[in-house]
Amino acid sequence: MTTMKSSKRNALNVRAALIKSVLLMVLMCVTGLVLAHGERNQEPFLRMKTLHWYDIKWSVENDSTIQVNDLVEMTGKVHFFSRWPEVINKPSTIFLGNATPGPVFVRVETYLDGVPMIQSTGVEMGHVYDFKVILKARIPGRHHVHPMINVESAGGLVGPGIWITVAGDADDFVYSITTRTGTEIANLGSYAVPNVIKWHAIWATVGVLWLLWWFRRPLIIQRYLLVKQGSWDQLITNNDRKIAATLIVGIIVTLIYANNITKEKYPRTVPLQGSKAHVDVPVNKYAGMVTVKNLSAEYYLPGRTVTVKAKITNNTNSPIQLGEFTAANIRFVNHSVPAAMKGVDVGYPDELVANDSLKVSDQTPIQPGETKILDIEATDVAWETERLSSLLNDPDSSYGALLFFYNAKGERIIEEIYGQIIPTFID
Amino acid sequence: MKLTTNEATLLSAVTTPNSEAARIARGLDMFVVAILFFAIIAAFHIHIMLTVGDWDFWVDWKDRMYWVTATPMLLIFIPAALSYPFMMRFGLPIAGTLCAFCLVLGEWISRIVGFHLWTYFPYSMIWPAIVLPGLMLMDLVLLLSRNLFITSIFGGSAVAFAFAPANWPILAPYHEPVVHMGQLVNVADMIGYSFTRTATPEYLRFIERGTLRTFGGESTLISTGFSGFVCMILFFVWWKIGEWLTNLGTIPNVMKKHVGLGDDDDEK
Repeated sequence: MTTMKSSKRNALNVRAALIKSVLLMVLMCVTGLVLAHGERNQEPFLRMKTLHWYDIKWSVENDSTIQVNDLVEMTGKVHFFSRWPEVINKPSTIFLGNATPGPVFVRVETYLDGVPMIQSTGVEMGHVYDFKVILKARIPGRHHVHPMINVESAGGLVGPGIWITVAGDADDFVYSITTRTGTEIANLGSYAVPNVIKWHAIWATVGVLWLLWWFRRPLIIQRYLLVKQGSWDQLITNNDRKIAATLIVGIIVTLIYANNITKEKYPRTVPLQGSKAHVDVPVNKYAGMVTVKNLSAEYYLPGRTVTVKAKITNNTNSPIQLGEFTAANIRFVNHSVPAAMKGVDVGYPDELVANDSLKVSDQTPIQPGETKILDIEATDVAWETERLSSLLNDPDSSYGALLFFYNAKGERIIEEIYGQIIPTFID
Repeated sequence: MKLTTNEATLLSAVTTPNSEAARIARGLDMFVVAILFFAIIAAFHIHIMLTVGDWDFWVDWKDRMYWVTATPMLLIFIPAALSYPFMMRFGLPIAGTLCAFCLVLGEWISRIVGFHLWTYFPYSMIWPAIVLPGLMLMDLVLLLSRNLFITSIFGGSAVAFAFAPANWPILAPYHEPVVHMGQLVNVADMIGYSFTRTATPEYLRFIERGTLRTFGGESTLISTGFSGFVCMILFFVWWKIGEWLTNLGTIPNVMKKHVGLGDDDDEK
């Protein structure tokens, strides 16, 4: 029995693989190579002025291999930018999820500031929320896995991602739950499917028999002429009428019977739940600690460099240094600030961290109460590879970023910076 | 209407058992049925994909209000329009049944190949609705009454009245309550949450929004009643559209004379 089942399964797998291969070949003829989720294709002003993801940690390393049924946890913080683009809706309705190639991972749990996110919610701009996403590997393959927040009318805003290879057999995937009524569901993906097939088959059989009842007789020429002649007694016979009447009764009785047995089998059901979760607005613990004002910003195209002149005031009691400039998931870290360097975890995706240090015109700490004007220079090929240089084509030629400051104890203060950005096309 | 001499001769020939004419006529039947079968699958399936769309794609969209209200209304267009030529030209009260069968076949092909094999969605999430009982009842009322008004009232409304009862036996297991992360949902909600649809987030689902559900809390009954009423009108309207399209007639083929053929009688 088991051998038969397994050979049947193998045959199905082979058939599925064949169908996929043919479809893939057709697609390959007409498309180029596409990887990940097109996150680089999203307009730069959207990526810079909506969400800033940081402190992202994955429970597995970039490019690691896990098995089907293994869990992956993504945690971190997401900052909803206060200068949200005018062209899209404010984040009054959002949904926390994952950007993966469809259901290759199953979403097990999601939390925003500790609140379960099985439903959508609303958030306040200018605030930072902790998030946690737990996924379970389902389909083997090499997948790009990101946290993601869908914002109503803005679409999916994707966080930093890592590559995960899932090994094993998709048929071994199991996701079991128990209902509140005590029903043990061995696998959510195949639950009650035989019942669906049974009822579809019953009604399809009735339909096919009814069609065959008519198709067994001459159809087109003869019936057309009989209609024209008005010979309805030959077209629709007494037998047809009797069977039709019987079928009407049979269908109605079957529907009543089916619903009665369903009611007996599932006496307790609840409708689909469509409420919205509530997440308290988190306190901005950095409010007023540092004042940042953008004086000017330029994008120097040939050198792939963004230069920002900013006026910074330290309102804390400790000297602070600028340690990081982060925009659109790209991190420019000041290598001369050890606390900032410590913030880049081993295994963090290389393509999301600039190779060169963030250049700051004055590396001396900003003293308590002091105001400094700093020239900040962020250079990396990532401006090009992450397609951020296309911000010059945006209807909103402005940028947004987070600045990370550190005091001597390694404590971090985060502040937004935003303003117009002007291109420089020549050396 | 009286047949012409040629038509009477043809009728006599095709009704003669084992005649050459009967065999050719039967061959034509099979040819047309095959073409019609694929044409209806394509047309009806694409219509339902584009109009009912997500409400029928996903188990966690099959709510008591929009799914129950909108699906029968959108289901009745093509079967009602086809009922006219099927019945009034060929005496075949099978347009609804044929459409329903073709639709469900097309849906299953799409769900298996497109949704499951290609994009990995599990069958528990993507099964299509059962539409056959309602559309078949529509045919049966038409057969027995041969009357447009009676079929509009009883047959048209049957499409809506049979929809929820036909689907509840397969939907009910997915409406069992589940508590996940301390939240009450049902199994369908849980399936929708678990199996990621990257670009179809939770807030896109329209779950019983609006005032229709407030009449006594019996959302399914109210939705079905409303849908049934609209289906009565829609059957009539689409039957008339079918009638208009069927009777558009033909355009004379002016090129025929260049190949030595004359006009047919109805083209003169």
